[in-house]
Amino acid sequence: MIMKSRLLVAAVLALLTLAACSSTGTPAASSSATQSAVADTGWSYTDDTGKTVTLAARPERIAGFADQMLTLLSYGIRPVAIFGRVDVASDPRFADYDLTGIEIVGNAYGEIDLEALAEAQPDLIVSAVYPSDREGTVDSTSPYYGMKDLEQQGKIEAIAKVIAVKVGGTGLGLIESNAKVALALGAEQATVDAAKATFDTAAANLTKVAAEHPLEVTVMYADADGIYLVKPEDEPQTELYKSLGVKLTELDPDGAYYWDIYSWENAGKVMGGDIILLSNEGYQIEDLKKQATFATHPALVAGQVHSNPYVAMDYAAQAKTMDQLAAWLSESQDV
Amino acid sequence: MFAATHPARLNTLALLGVALLAAVLASLALGSNPISVAQVLQALLDPASDPDAVVWGSRVPRTLVGLLVGACLGVAGTIMQGQTGNPLADPGLFGVSSGASLAVVLGAYLLGHDSMSVSLLLAMAGALVASVLVFGVASLSRDLANPVPLAIAGTAVSALLNAVISFLVLTNASSLEAYRVWVVGSLGGRGLEGLSLVLVPALAGLVLALVNARSLNSLTLGLDLARGLGETVWRARLVGLGAITLTTASAVAVAGPLGFIGLTAPHVGRALVGGNHYRLLPASALVGAVTLLACDVIGRLIGGGQAEVPVGVVLAVLGGVAFVAIVRRAKLAAM
Repeated sequence: MIMKSRLLVAAVLALLTLAACSSTGTPAASSSATQSAVADTGWSYTDDTGKTVTLAARPERIAGFADQMLTLLSYGIRPVAIFGRVDVASDPRFADYDLTGIEIVGNAYGEIDLEALAEAQPDLIVSAVYPSDREGTVDSTSPYYGMKDLEQQGKIEAIAKVIAVKVGGTGLGLIESNAKVALALGAEQATVDAAKATFDTAAANLTKVAAEHPLEVTVMYADADGIYLVKPEDEPQTELYKSLGVKLTELDPDGAYYWDIYSWENAGKVMGGDIILLSNEGYQIEDLKKQATFATHPALVAGQVHSNPYVAMDYAAQAKTMDQLAAWLSESQDV
Repeated sequence: MFAATHPARLNTLALLGVALLAAVLASLALGSNPISVAQVLQALLDPASDPDAVVWGSRVPRTLVGLLVGACLGVAGTIMQGQTGNPLADPGLFGVSSGASLAVVLGAYLLGHDSMSVSLLLAMAGALVASVLVFGVASLSRDLANPVPLAIAGTAVSALLNAVISFLVLTNASSLEAYRVWVVGSLGGRGLEGLSLVLVPALAGLVLALVNARSLNSLTLGLDLARGLGETVWRARLVGLGAITLTTASAVAVAGPLGFIGLTAPHVGRALVGGNHYRLLPASALVGAVTLLACDVIGRLIGGGQAEVPVGVVLAVLGGVAFVAIVRRAKLAAM
């Protein structure tokens, strides 16, 4: 899912860059987010893009993009409104949370019911931005992720101030950035610490299992165009696994950002993995088996292909995912 | 007069045959995986030596699919233009492409996935249903001899189906995903399974087209003359519609809604061999197949190494240029 999101973002970025090639984009500051809750003068927060939002008091009514609202929910903060890239009510990532009383104001990319959002009376809107290259550049002329265009973004900013989490860089950095937002919005430090403890345990376990079972993991998406091989360093989640010692398929770390596309007749170049984490969008296992150039992939033959949905970047969700990966590593054959 | 053999035009057909052979060889020899011609030849003779199944797993099925789809589109366009007396008619005019598209989107919407083989079956079914629907609506006019009610019914049904597609795609991201991959039109990732599924309906459609050739020649002279020549016009319409539906549905199901070939191949064919459908149908089939294979090879070579550009994109660019060139030459043979 996130991979396709990236594609969409890349396309949007390309268009906007073309449209606004004369304007000089101000490079967004990549300094880490800093929060300063000033008791007397109100509340202020500097987000990942370097933008500082100041309010009279700490915002209580939060709205925002589904991925960010998931992380807030995991730290015990209930938003008042959510807009998602897919149908929020049926999004399995929300299955553990009771959404009663939370307004769903968008179920497709860029399709946000502004009236419903305004009626929810948010004090603050939390969104996301995706960098457009390995250096983490954020194009200031493109809208926040999940918003259709700058015009829509302007209307949303008129409803409430917007902060953004940068979905790039290291996995740990992204998780920390999400947690920092939650803490600034009133999450209990103890809640975050407890989740982090679980995460640390899972991370240590994953490192241990990865050392005992040094299997190669291929993270990919596939469709009629071929195989989209994710570059581990460019996707925060895979970067996290790599930093913990998991061996990931990495054929061309440089070159194009985020992933390389291998047409089906080049599928033979992507046969190295022992375990395949296959995006839950696009071609699925049965489709892969029908590709003659890929059907002989040892991991596919051995049944070591697992569906890989986009997982929220919070400590608890990532701990669960790492435990699952550790289990797959220890169960699987070296093929 | 029509049956008289014209040596120059037969030579033209033979030359088209040579062009097709060249296109087939290019399609087998060239691709995004830079294996040598010698390796391809060796693999063709000895499948066991096929490197990563590139030749037998990708290029051979892809070439066969391209041949069949190109021929189907060329023939479908020829019959559509002959039946309606409209040189701008394309095979999608009777709602066949829209029906197939809607079925693919509905499949993703209701079944929640976008498996290739399921899409293929759905596209076939959708194309057939749309065609029957159009014929049913047109038959309300009780004047099937007249092509106008058919064209109007086709346009109306297409517009309705496209509206439903837009609604589903805009409100549901997963159906958008399936639609996005499919609507571009591609020969990549299609195996022999796709071919086997549409082979029978495609061949049946091509045979029906030949059966329709005599009627098409009479219809070109106008309805009154056609009746005078003993033509049962409603039967000629029915056979023609059957041929269009079967050929277009087969092509659309396996390769997606590819543009331009159905529109331009008949014009090129007419310029080369004249308006007699006994020669025009085979000529258009050959032109369609050569064009599709050539554009597919171009798409494989311009993808930048290991990726490819879908043939639908190549056709959209080159087809547009070619069509303008045809119009500019002002040599559109009279229908």
